[in-house]
Amino acid sequence: MSSLTRRELMALLGGTLASGASRGLLAQPPQDAWLLGWKTFGRESVGPTVATLEGRWPGSLSGTLYRNGPGWFDRAGVRYQHWFDGDGLMQGWRIGDGTVTHSARMICTYKFLQEQRSGKFELPAAGTLVENARSIRNNDDVNTANTAVVRLGKRVFALWEGGSAIEIDPDSLQTLGPVTWRDDLLAAPFSAHPLLERDGTAWNFGSLAFFRGTGLIIWRIGPDGRLAQFQLLDSPEPGYMHAFAMTARHLVFMLMPFSLRTVDGAFFERMKFEPHKPCRVALVPKDALDAPRWFECDFATAYHFGDAFERGDEVIMRVIRHRDVEEARSPMSSAMRGQRGDDTAGSDLASLHLNLKTGAAHWRMHPIEGVEFPTYDERSTGPARLFAPCTVGRAEAPYFNGVASIDAERDRVRRWRYGARILAEEHRFVPKPGSSRAGEGWLLGTLLDYEHERTGLALLDAERVEDGPIATAWVPYTTPLGFHGWFAAA
Amino acid sequence: MKMQRVFPAFFALGLTGLGGLAPLVQAGELTVSITNIRTDKGNLMVSVVNNDAGWNNQEKPVAVAKVAATGKDSVLHFDLPAGSYAVQVMHDENDNGKLDTNFMGIPAEGYGFSNNPRVMRKAHFSEAKFDISDAASSIVIELR
Repeated sequence: MSSLTRRELMALLGGTLASGASRGLLAQPPQDAWLLGWKTFGRESVGPTVATLEGRWPGSLSGTLYRNGPGWFDRAGVRYQHWFDGDGLMQGWRIGDGTVTHSARMICTYKFLQEQRSGKFELPAAGTLVENARSIRNNDDVNTANTAVVRLGKRVFALWEGGSAIEIDPDSLQTLGPVTWRDDLLAAPFSAHPLLERDGTAWNFGSLAFFRGTGLIIWRIGPDGRLAQFQLLDSPEPGYMHAFAMTARHLVFMLMPFSLRTVDGAFFERMKFEPHKPCRVALVPKDALDAPRWFECDFATAYHFGDAFERGDEVIMRVIRHRDVEEARSPMSSAMRGQRGDDTAGSDLASLHLNLKTGAAHWRMHPIEGVEFPTYDERSTGPARLFAPCTVGRAEAPYFNGVASIDAERDRVRRWRYGARILAEEHRFVPKPGSSRAGEGWLLGTLLDYEHERTGLALLDAERVEDGPIATAWVPYTTPLGFHGWFAAA
Repeated sequence: MKMQRVFPAFFALGLTGLGGLAPLVQAGELTVSITNIRTDKGNLMVSVVNNDAGWNNQEKPVAVAKVAATGKDSVLHFDLPAGSYAVQVMHDENDNGKLDTNFMGIPAEGYGFSNNPRVMRKAHFSEAKFDISDAASSIVIELR
């Protein structure tokens, strides 16, 4: 074992980065204390709360890390079975002027307001069959806005994948309502992972698979936050897709073949991936959205993609592949049932190579496993370093307890371990003010310290992840784990 | 893109407008309570038919009503002879005489059917059909 830094030693002893971590070894939390990550938030808002700071928060870092994720899983004795069903909880970590504050507020979608009023689940959910559910007008009636968040121009949006973006007040986190980019596009799906150009132009897609259709919508939103382009792209057969990747010239959409079982049930209950079929991959020129080039690759299940770039005759994109098709259909399902499962080990980093000359596609597997929620410096023009939560050493909960910095070109990984009893979430890359070199920046990652029942924010130097946090901020309560965040510079 | 193939008449509601009425002998009273009115803009347009052709706009409805959308609920009365009927309601929020939909045919305004069938499409006549006798009767339609 190499020598430990003081910080690593503290983390090992106490499972925490807290000063005063000496309460560590004897005081064991209940075995299932980590289920706080999947516990219903249970109130409409909290904060702003001034966080307790450790380390040195740089004065040049100023802005808000927004985080979104499912926050409400139980009503009237009924618990959702699927993690994706929880109603959206928006969180904001506001950094600047030497302080960090935390706020969280349930997103007031139509569904949340109706069910808050009645006290029971009464509208259909994506992954759990709701008994005697009310009929809905359209897909936005069941929009939970629970997946991700993005700032376009000066506007902040909570994102889902089966309906409208829901606009959020950037300061108060109050819900402003669903966005209709054009009258005839009301309730059209606007997915959770838009990708931005340097000028602020955003690309996104909406899957028509949720509407028994094939293909997708391609959205281009201008830097002014208005619809600039809308394109329908048909596909050879239905495919599920949660996110996409892009190079300087192309958008890359990988559709996973699936069918819907002809039984009663929610979408993800009826969904059955079809691993015997290939994935269809559309390579779409940004300047000719109606002229896709289609590739086929061996089946894989993936929610998230890293960077993509073009080199020689190839387009290469990084993909987080899930090994277990069933687990991919319902991630962390055991945690939703209040049980321990082994849900996070089953993923691998892979690269998908599309050969523009031959039209062939092939996979290259990297010897890097157990990572998810990848991020990178979007200024990169070639291969980018990926940052992803991972499991390092012993973890008492079946979830990530560290963060990895991945050089996929050389298959080298640097890791930081937060501790055995800390759950680590997505880490967003934040360029250092004034920097122009890709990779020069910080990571902002959120943590759940279930042993001490507190929620945290860690700041790391993106080029020295293995050194651990430069600074942390903690608030004395927990919020359920989220999915994705967005840093909006002040 | 072949939208017909992509969306096989999934949400093509084609709710009936307020044209002329089929001749009818007046008899018992049907009370229609409409609930879950989401906004007080525009009008509720109610159409009562007594067969499949009427349901599919091939025959005139036996009764229609147009009332301003005020409050969360609205109650209407129709005098109808004993028989089988089905009722459809459209909340024409912008008062343009039709149920607005998006580019996929998915409704943007409120609508509902008698029996409140839990289907994500226009209900069939058989799903919305109910019988009334000469005595007074009532139904509740929850708008979606």
